[in-house]
Amino acid sequence: MGTRILSVEDDERIRTAVKLALEDEGWTVDEAGSGEEAIELFHRAAPDVVLIDIMLPGIDGFELCRTLRRHSDVPIVMVTARNDTHDVVAGLEAGADDYLTKPFAPKELSARIRALLRRIRPTAPGHAKLTFGDLEIIPEEGKVVRGGTELHLTKTEFRLLCELAQNPGSVFSRESLLDKVWGYDYFGDGRLVDVHVRRLRTKVEADPANPRHVVTVRGLGYRLQS
Amino acid sequence: MTDSAAEQTPTGSKAGPSRWLRLSEWWEGVQPRRLSLRVRILLMFALGALFLSGFLAAAAYSFARSSVVNQRDDAGIEQAYRNAQAAQNDLRLNDPSTQAAMDRLQSLGVATFAINYRGSWSASSAKYTNDAIPLSLQQRVITESTPARMITRIDGHPVLVVGIPLTVADGGYFEFVLLDDASSTLNSVRLSLLFAGFITTLAGALLGTLVANRAVRPLGDAAQAAKAIAGGRLDTRLEPSEDPDLRVLANAFNDMVAALEARVERDARFASDVSHELRSPLMTLAASVEVMNSRRDDLPERAQSALDLLVADVTRFQGLVEDLLEISRFDAGAIRLNIEELRVAEFVRHAVDVSSMPTTRVIVSERAERVVIQGDRRRLARVMANLIDNARVHGGGEATVTVGEPDGEGEPLAHIWIAVEDRGLGVPLEERALVFERFARGAVAGRRSSSDGAGLGLSLVDEHARIHGGRVWVEERVDGESGARFVLELAADEVNE
Repeated sequence: MGTRILSVEDDERIRTAVKLALEDEGWTVDEAGSGEEAIELFHRAAPDVVLIDIMLPGIDGFELCRTLRRHSDVPIVMVTARNDTHDVVAGLEAGADDYLTKPFAPKELSARIRALLRRIRPTAPGHAKLTFGDLEIIPEEGKVVRGGTELHLTKTEFRLLCELAQNPGSVFSRESLLDKVWGYDYFGDGRLVDVHVRRLRTKVEADPANPRHVVTVRGLGYRLQS
Repeated sequence: MTDSAAEQTPTGSKAGPSRWLRLSEWWEGVQPRRLSLRVRILLMFALGALFLSGFLAAAAYSFARSSVVNQRDDAGIEQAYRNAQAAQNDLRLNDPSTQAAMDRLQSLGVATFAINYRGSWSASSAKYTNDAIPLSLQQRVITESTPARMITRIDGHPVLVVGIPLTVADGGYFEFVLLDDASSTLNSVRLSLLFAGFITTLAGALLGTLVANRAVRPLGDAAQAAKAIAGGRLDTRLEPSEDPDLRVLANAFNDMVAALEARVERDARFASDVSHELRSPLMTLAASVEVMNSRRDDLPERAQSALDLLVADVTRFQGLVEDLLEISRFDAGAIRLNIEELRVAEFVRHAVDVSSMPTTRVIVSERAERVVIQGDRRRLARVMANLIDNARVHGGGEATVTVGEPDGEGEPLAHIWIAVEDRGLGVPLEERALVFERFARGAVAGRRSSSDGAGLGLSLVDEHARIHGGRVWVEERVDGESGARFVLELAADEVNE
């Protein structure tokens, strides 16, 4: 079964050009010109990756992203107008897994999509079950349980948690997490890590404001502990 | 020359205006240039106090003097009348000799007097003779037969001369009343008035200083605000003043800044809007060109050449729009740095790896390996990319990157130099500042490759260096060969392993 991509973009010319470029990669592309159309199509087409332009008529990209996130852990790539802190962070907070800034090269987009698809099938760490206090991670099943309740993590959040769990207690720098989870080189955006850690904490921590499991090590990075 | 000669001619009609002219010229010359407002206010107050106290002192003195002298006058005149009466009696009896009258007066204790009797003078002493009597007084008394008095000075001492015409014959009796003790009273009055005047002038100057400081303070505020605005803080405003005069200035100033801010914002927004608008078509272009490029081999040769041009220029266009966006962000002050601690050697190697010339040689000094900088890694990577692009396009396509400390062995390290050297024609001295201007197109730029970028790359390097608290400049290669050396200086720290 081929990879399906849902591209949400109101500019028809861009949409068409991006579709052509992505089809060259061998992927199937569904197009939506608005958020409403995208929600409708999302349930019908069940895409593997969603590409959302933030500037949309009607429901904007942030809202669409939040709506999709309520039902799904599908990887989402945001296309922002600017790489200003506001747009990027707002997009990531809304649930996006990665972002690109217009104008981007289609090659870059396909590289991002490939990295996200790779993450959907994480290599098993080899342990059946990892326990951190009240937190249980079952990598084989892609499941995280806290106090007997299963938590719903996105693929990227889960992958991030697994990376931290690989080496409990040791500190992971932003760069190494960007490399391992997102496949970015030295110049990846550290905000990706920061926002995902924040999102992760709201799910795995009893009190996200005073995290016990995912701990910040000032100036160095993050660490997972029980 | 002739003019000034004419001016100096002391002909009555000319001397007045020409001197006035010279005076006003002098004032013109002195006033605005050498004297600050503060000094002028101070001078005005001091001079005002001086004039006022001088005037009051003069009035007080003349009042004191006349009251002291009048006292003396009244007593002296009364006495003189009695003496004159006595003298007249003796004169009438012993006509024409005056001796008896003089003896009589001396026996009465009158020591200083002079008598004019039938045209001849006789005096009590050699000092108080008719020579000491002012002629106008003599005339009034003797010729017009009117009693009169006058204050004169004899041997430097003030003396009241009372003149009384004789009724027996032509002539007059003159008595000298010494005013020395009155004069000493007046002297001490004068001294204290001078002192008071001096104190008042001093107080005026002091008050002037205070007032000047007060008056100048709003100017200082305005100057500071103007400096802040020039420095880019366009939201600076003057505090609205209570003083209606100053409020006019403050309001006008604030209105001006608001207009300026609006204009700068509009310009910045225009640049930003234009580049935002350009991005959508550019996006379509980039994606379409890539689709075509992946089928390049299916195209005829001429179409391939055209496609190559298209691909290259779309890439260039994309870079230009990105640079424009970045520049407009700088202009709008919307740049927010994502500051991290970076190992400079590691950073530079990575930056070179992702640049347009990944094989560029990187030489890092031993000490620089242990150096960290505080910076936004993605923005600094753009700086490196731009410098390397510049070397690729203008520098003969060959570059060397050196990371090292500025000269100064053993000194604590405060800065690090990241230098990109190329093998191009170099940058002549007079263009070294210009290459960092936007769209710089100097003689060298014109001589350089025709396919180069927009000319924004180096100006972005400059902006980035500055926002990181560093600087960038261009010089000749260290080894003296042809080529340019761009040096980026950033604040740095040494870490101990």
